[in-house]
Amino acid sequence: MMTVIFATLLLAFVAGRFGPRWLAVSFVLACLALSIGLFLYEIYSPEYGFRMPWLQVRHGLPAFGGNTSGVLA
Amino acid sequence: MNPRLPALLNDLFLFAMMLVMAEILTFAMILQYRGGEIPCPLCLLQRVAMFGVCFGIILHFRDGASARNDGISMVFALLLLIVSARQTLLDIYPRPGHDYIGSAIFGIHMPVWSVIIAVAILLAYTVKFAVLGGENLRDDESPELMSRAQSWLIYYVIALCAINFVSVILQCGMGACHTMGYKLL
Repeated sequence: MMTVIFATLLLAFVAGRFGPRWLAVSFVLACLALSIGLFLYEIYSPEYGFRMPWLQVRHGLPAFGGNTSGVLA
Repeated sequence: MNPRLPALLNDLFLFAMMLVMAEILTFAMILQYRGGEIPCPLCLLQRVAMFGVCFGIILHFRDGASARNDGISMVFALLLLIVSARQTLLDIYPRPGHDYIGSAIFGIHMPVWSVIIAVAILLAYTVKFAVLGGENLRDDESPELMSRAQSWLIYYVIALCAINFVSVILQCGMGACHTMGYKLL
């Protein structure tokens, strides 16, 4: 997949220099779409989905003494 | 004020931005082949995004000033920001198998540098729009020296992209990319 992404990117550059603009923009849009697809594939975990449970922001709040119920709710 | 000055400043601004992108991508290749640091899939996607920023600038050099070309560059800058921010968050909490990939430069690892670079690109474009505006940026006659420097830089970036393409073939083949080694070597 990464090879295809770089191939479309290279074709976009070559078309951007020597070919018609519509072809260059088409290749770069294809490259962008493939990149977004691969990015989503890479960050997806069968266990967590797209969540990042290792980032725990609800725990370890410093003891302010004030009312933090709004934060913890 | 010389009516051609905004167009010249715009050309110089975009030339400088593409030069910096080319330097960063060259440095990445040096780290890969002299430092032995094989890039991860998200690292490669960040390179794609940086090349995409260059692509918008190349269209500007070819067709003249247009918000469309700046838009293409900014879309890829946004992609760079999203990918690098997600990778930073993946590795920000130490856990088995999730260390930052590669060596730190000035104490900052590569994905964090990418966040800084993406924000810097977007900030640079906002400053450019605020200072130069969108009018009077079209100039049909660039100075000879400027045109030659632009051509040289365009060919250099295309060559860098071709080298990256071959490198990705060696590393990934037609399958998934891994940081353990080169699939075809």
